[in-house]
Amino acid sequence: MPFIKRGAATSVPDSDADNPAAHVERLNSADAEIRWAAARALGGQADAVPALAAALGAEKVQRVREAIMTALMRVGNEASVMALLPYIRSQDAGQRATAIEALQALPSAIMPFMPALLADAESDVRILATELARNMEANDATHVLCKLIDSEPHPNVCAAAIDVLAEVGTRDAIPTLKACAERFAGTPFLPFAVSTTIARISDTQG
Amino acid sequence: MESEKTRSMPRARILVVDDSSLVRLYFRTALEKGGFEVEQAINGIEALEKILAQAFDLVVVDVNMPRMDGFSFIRELRATAGAVAGLPALVITTEAAQQDREDARTAGANFYLVKPVSEADLLRYAAILAGVPA
Amino acid sequence: MAPLEAHGARAIHVTQEDIRRLCEFLYRRTGMSFDDNKRYYIDRRVTERMAATGSESFQSYFATLRSDADHEIQHLVNAFTVNETYFYREDHQLRCMTSSLLQDIVRRKKNQDAIRIWSIPCSTGEEPYSIAMWLMENWADVDSHNIEIVGSDIDTRALKAAADGIYGARALMRLSPAVVDRYFERLEKDEVRIDPGLRDSVQFTRANLIDRSDMARYRNFDIVFCRNVLIYFDDASRRIAAENLYDCLRPGGYICLGHSETMSRISPLFSVCRFPEAIVYQRPEADRDGK
Repeated sequence: MPFIKRGAATSVPDSDADNPAAHVERLNSADAEIRWAAARALGGQADAVPALAAALGAEKVQRVREAIMTALMRVGNEASVMALLPYIRSQDAGQRATAIEALQALPSAIMPFMPALLADAESDVRILATELARNMEANDATHVLCKLIDSEPHPNVCAAAIDVLAEVGTRDAIPTLKACAERFAGTPFLPFAVSTTIARISDTQG
Repeated sequence: MESEKTRSMPRARILVVDDSSLVRLYFRTALEKGGFEVEQAINGIEALEKILAQAFDLVVVDVNMPRMDGFSFIRELRATAGAVAGLPALVITTEAAQQDREDARTAGANFYLVKPVSEADLLRYAAILAGVPA
Repeated sequence: MAPLEAHGARAIHVTQEDIRRLCEFLYRRTGMSFDDNKRYYIDRRVTERMAATGSESFQSYFATLRSDADHEIQHLVNAFTVNETYFYREDHQLRCMTSSLLQDIVRRKKNQDAIRIWSIPCSTGEEPYSIAMWLMENWADVDSHNIEIVGSDIDTRALKAAADGIYGARALMRLSPAVVDRYFERLEKDEVRIDPGLRDSVQFTRANLIDRSDMARYRNFDIVFCRNVLIYFDDASRRIAAENLYDCLRPGGYICLGHSETMSRISPLFSVCRFPEAIVYQRPEADRDGK
C-alpha cells in the first residue's frame, strides 16, 4: 500500500508562552504571517484591546483582520465592543458580516449600545443592529426590538426586527406587532410577517 | 388558479434564497399558491449546492445576504460550467436606485424587484422568468 | 396538537408553531432542514429532550436550546439523526478528491512531498479508512505517490476503537462485496475487521480542534475532512477552529465540510471551490488584500 506513516504531528516551540507585550509588538510586523500569529495569541487579552483596535484600523490583509476581530470578540468587554462597532458600517461586506457575527456573540456587552444603534440615522445600520438581539435572552430581545418597531418608519427595518422576534420573541411583543401591521396595512409582506410571528410566539412567556 | 393545462404539466421549480426565514416563507407560500414547486436556501453557497444537485427553472435571490451577497452569488452562478450558468435569476433589491439596477444587470440578473415585494409582482415575474405559459 | 405524555410525567405541551420555530432555529444554526413529513418524528424527539433536560415548558426548553446549554443542540440533532457512521459516507466528496482535488494538489506539489490527508474528527475511524480504501479503489495514480493519512479525535476511546478496526456489518452498507472482501476479514457475531495492512496505513492521534497549541503540531495538510462538527461549536470556538485549520493546511489546500454545512456561515478565511462533484473550501495560495 502506498500509505506512509511518519510523525503526524510535530513538536513546535510554544511561542504563545511569550508575554503579551511581545505579541503586541508583533502586531506591527511587516510580515503578515507574524501579525496573524500575534493577533491569534492575543485572543481574550483585555489589556491588548487598544493595540488590537489600532492594528485592525491599519490592517490590509483580510485574514489578519479576521484574526484580530476574533481576538477582540474573545475579550468581549465594552472596550472590545467599541473597537468592533465601527465595522458594521464598513463598505466591505465581509468586514460588516464579521463585525455583526462577533457582536452577536456578545449579547450582554452589546446591550448598552443597542438604543443608539437602533436609533441610528442609517436604516442599513438599524437593520444590522436587529441581528444583534438574536442571542439575547428572550425578554431583553423582545424589549429592544419592540422599542425599535414602535417608532420605526422604514418597513424593511421593521421586517428585519420581526424576523428576529419570530425566533426570540415573547408574547409581550404582540401589541407592538399588531400596531405595526396596522401602520403598514397597505404594504406587501409586513402583515404576513406580523401574523406569522404572532402565531409563533403566542404561547411564549419569557 | 391552475387551469387544466397547467395542472397536468410538471410544475416549474423555483429556488428561493434569503437569509430571512419569514421572507422565505412568504415567497414560498405565494409561489406554491401560484402552482410552483419551491425549494429554499439560506445563503449563496447552499443555493449553489442545490442548483448543482437539482434542476430549477428560476432562482429568486436577495441582494443583502451576509458573506455572499446576491450579486456575488449570481456572478458565481454565471461562471459555473454547463447549462446551469444560464439559470434565470430574479434579484430582490432594497432600493430602486440606478446603481442597484446597473449592478443587477452587470452581475447577470435577468430582472429585479424592490423590497417589500408584493405577491402579485412576485408571481407575475416568476412566471415570465421561469418560462411558464400564461 | 394533543399534549404528549413523557414517562408518566405531567404532559408537556408542544404546538405546531413551537416545532416550526424550533426547526427554523435549527436550520439557521446548523443548516439541517426537516421535511414536513418528518415533523411528527421531530415532535417525539423534542418532547424526549424536554423530559431529559427537565424543561417544564417548550419556551424554557427553547431557551436552553438557543443558549446551547450543555451542548443541547448536539443532543437534539443526535436524537433526530440515526447516529451511525459507516464507510463511504458522503462519498461525493471522496469522488471530488480523486476526480478533482488530487490532480490540482499534485500539479502544485514540489519535490516528492507526501500527499497529506487529515480526518478530524475521525471518531471510530470509518472516515480515514474510507479515504484509504477509496484512494486504492479509485485513484489511478495511487501507487505513484506517498500518501499520509491521519485520523484525529478528542475522544481517546473512539481512537482506540479506530485503531482496533472492528465494526458491525451495518457499517459496510455502502461498500460493494468486492471492496469488503479486499479490505476486511469477517469475525464472529456479524462483525468485521479491517485488514492489518490498511489498519497500519492510518495514523491515529488525539487532537482538539479548538486547542491552538494542539493544532499547532499539525502542518502542511493537502486535504482536511472536517465534517459535521463545526456546526456544534459556539461562534468564538468556530472561528478559532477555522483559524487553526487554516494554519494546518498548505496554501492551496482543501477542506471538506459536512453536507449541510457551508463555510460561508462559518469562516471568511477560505475560498469557495465548486467542482462537479462537490463544493469544497480552499486556503488561498496567497494572502488577499482587503479594501
